[in-house]
Amino acid sequence: MTSPLPDNAVRVTGLSKKFPNGPLALDQVDLAVPKGQLLSLIGLSGSGKSTLLRHLHGLIPPSSGFVEVLGTNVVAAGRRELRELRRDVGFVFQSFGLVGRLTALENVLSGALGRLSGPRFGTLMYPKALRREALENLDRVGLGDRAFQRSDTLSGGQQQRVAIARTLMQRPKLLLADEPVASLDPESSAQVMDVLFRIVVEDQLTVICTLHQVELALGWAQRIVGLRDGQVVLDREVDNLDESAVMEVYRRVEPGRSTDASVEKPSVPSSPRVA
Amino acid sequence: MTSPVPTIPDSDSDPMAPEFPPSSDSRLRRRLTGDRIVMRVVLAVFIVAVVWAWRHIEMSFGGLIAGIGDVRNLLGRMLPPKFSDLDDAIRLGFETLWMAVIGTTIAVVLSFPIALGAARNTTPHPAVMAVCRGVIVLSRAVPDLIFAAIFVRAIGIGVLPGVIALGLHSIGMVGKLFADAIEQTEKMPREAVTSVGASKWQAITTSVIPQAMPSFISTILYRLDINLRSSSVLGIVGAGGIGFLMQANLRSLQYDEALGVVSVIFVLITIMEFFSAAVRATLLGGDRTLVGRSVPKFSLGARIFSRFWSDRMKNDIGVRPFDREKIRPPWVGEVRMKTIYGLAFVALVVIAFRSVSLNPGELLGALPDVWKVTTRLFPPDFSTARDPIVDGIIESVAAALVATFMGAILSIPLGLMAARNVAFNRIVYSVSRLFLVLVRGIPELIIAVIFIAAIGLGPVPGTLALAFGTSGFLAKLIADAVEEINPIPREATFATGATKTQEIATSVIPQAMPAIVSNLLYALDINLRTSTILGIVGGGGIGFILFNALRVLQLRTVGAVLITIFVVVYSIELLSGWVRKRIL
Ligand SMILES: Nc1ncnc2c1ncn2[C@@H]1O[C@H](COP(=O)(O)OP(=O)(O)OP(=O)(O)O)[C@@H](O)[C@H]1O
Ligand SMILES: [Mg+2]
Repeated sequence: MTSPLPDNAVRVTGLSKKFPNGPLALDQVDLAVPKGQLLSLIGLSGSGKSTLLRHLHGLIPPSSGFVEVLGTNVVAAGRRELRELRRDVGFVFQSFGLVGRLTALENVLSGALGRLSGPRFGTLMYPKALRREALENLDRVGLGDRAFQRSDTLSGGQQQRVAIARTLMQRPKLLLADEPVASLDPESSAQVMDVLFRIVVEDQLTVICTLHQVELALGWAQRIVGLRDGQVVLDREVDNLDESAVMEVYRRVEPGRSTDASVEKPSVPSSPRVA
Repeated sequence: MTSPVPTIPDSDSDPMAPEFPPSSDSRLRRRLTGDRIVMRVVLAVFIVAVVWAWRHIEMSFGGLIAGIGDVRNLLGRMLPPKFSDLDDAIRLGFETLWMAVIGTTIAVVLSFPIALGAARNTTPHPAVMAVCRGVIVLSRAVPDLIFAAIFVRAIGIGVLPGVIALGLHSIGMVGKLFADAIEQTEKMPREAVTSVGASKWQAITTSVIPQAMPSFISTILYRLDINLRSSSVLGIVGAGGIGFLMQANLRSLQYDEALGVVSVIFVLITIMEFFSAAVRATLLGGDRTLVGRSVPKFSLGARIFSRFWSDRMKNDIGVRPFDREKIRPPWVGEVRMKTIYGLAFVALVVIAFRSVSLNPGELLGALPDVWKVTTRLFPPDFSTARDPIVDGIIESVAAALVATFMGAILSIPLGLMAARNVAFNRIVYSVSRLFLVLVRGIPELIIAVIFIAAIGLGPVPGTLALAFGTSGFLAKLIADAVEEINPIPREATFATGATKTQEIATSVIPQAMPAIVSNLLYALDINLRTSTILGIVGGGGIGFILFNALRVLQLRTVGAVLITIFVVVYSIELLSGWVRKRIL
């Protein structure tokens, strides 16, 4: 669709991933995401959404293909280059990834670790400027007054907002979110997506976000990319998209494959949900 | 609590278990049969071994009754206890406490890096992991009294060899439990921190350590408890503390004085147990699931301190006002509690070092000597004293077996009487619990010294002392296990019109059986370790040859004894660990 402009935040060509004694999780994926775009990735469970995001973050090596993120060739990057790249790429996890025993503020502060050297124990080991920045970020997600609450006493939606504030500490240029609201109730989901939307627009971030709820994706993204069995089966601007095209992504067709899907499904919880 | 994060499966769980269990029905049946077979085989082997061991150490019912008579006689001469040098006893009691504090501190300082190296998820390299795990296993298998006896030879009599011995031996447990805690932390928070570009060590300090902290604290307090018991007997080999005074009193046949000293030891240990349980309950109340069994639910301390805990909960949930200018943690609830406890602990350590007039520099200064004597243990010399070593270790194993058996026989009724949901009435319950507190408040080696004074040298008094200690220890575990069993089957049995005794036999004991067998194996483990040192006080077993070889500085023979002890203790530990995993 979009031609690979030089100002693409993400450029993926011919990306395939075959897990050792696993399925072909990604099959010749091509994707270019221009800077500032809000892209939503949809697809059935096991279609390869998380696997694609994990490649963008350099968490797993591809079987073949090319991945470039913010001008860095992820496949060829060394450890240090990757660490540098990750500083610019925010990642929001389905399961939040907060340290429950630490306060909300401490969790947010940990987002700045990439800019600091050496370990940090406790709030006061971070410079005051960073503490202020962290508090501002908590304000942005509407939780400023909860700064010193233990994060495992927050509700799920609040925890995810803390996690978003944490990635803001990175001052990311690209935000990857893997089903950020999948474990939340509809009300908290809407709240979290609102917060996320406001922030990415304000900061002009590029966003790739996988979502299970099609309505959320439609109301939120500029562009929808659908994966099925590791292949891109839909890639369109939201404006000229109709319901049926979206439902196509979730169609269980191709007799040979449909059994595949039902076999893979139960194995999903067991696969390490890294990304 | 509200976190929807899936709990990461316990890394210690059976690796053979299928990832997707078949229907729960067949799983239940298969597990049960597996349990039963393993349990029956274990019990059969155990009984055969006990019969052999009983004969081997020449235990007999006649001798037993005579022995009990002797002990009664001695007790008669001990009562009433005399406290003519109470000042001295109290001073040495404090010294014992400070030694335990310093020994535990040394252990924590050393265990922390060792645990990071030994835990699968934090180790820098598989080779480092192997070395660290090796250190843990080694230091656990060698009893602290043996370390102490060797170090006394290396750096002379005093507190210093004692605290080094406590520290080194404690690495075995503290390092192991620390590493377990590190391995059991959730992966996701760490990955999240790594994803912002944090380095490996930043991610570990920010996400792994805070998660493992409650477990660390619980372990430290628990170990402090254990080290106090140990440090009160180290004096027997000249490594400082109150044990020396008791030994001296016994030697000069001042039995009433000796009992006075034992009372001081008892008070010290009991107070410490109370405090450590209370502090654990307060500090870790909210993380009870993380610290598991080691936080007693019903302890008096827990009940008293729970008042503070509920206050703290109110403070920690909901909006906590703070100064938006300074952005400092508000001085309420958990922060305040942690700071106060943290400062108190630091103060305790400082006071401890001051009181025994040690400084950390001296500790480091002793290391070259410790190292020198260690190197002189190698290469081990098995030939000079081959027969005594072989006979000694066999006798130690036999003593441990018999003691565990006798302890078990005593502890099952005792444990049932001390379980509040089974005890026939409150008086039985209270008396049994009181008795348990009494037994547990006196270290086994001290009981051994007393029994030997009463009965004479040899494995029989040593074994009896071990059995006595085991009964207290096991009965407590059994009582706790029984208190946790499911009440429903019991009600069902009552409903059929069964009597209380029938009911206990058919529903309580079978339900508590895996826990009982598991604790029995655990007791065997511990008894074997203790029985290797009984010889030091004349209670038979391999400790005797060890102590003799040390006296004449045949260090390479000492090395051989150590290796023998290590091999036997470690094999039994592996074996009992395997069995316990199977049946639990
Ligand atoms: N580490 C792994 N080893 C083997 N197979 C894997 C691994 N990770 C993922 N897979 C497989 O790759 C396929 C794609 O998985 P992926 O997690 O990317 O799907 P997803 O679209 O994110 O699904 P969901 O919506 O359930 O999160 C699945 O079949 C999965 O089982
Ligand atoms: Mg996924």
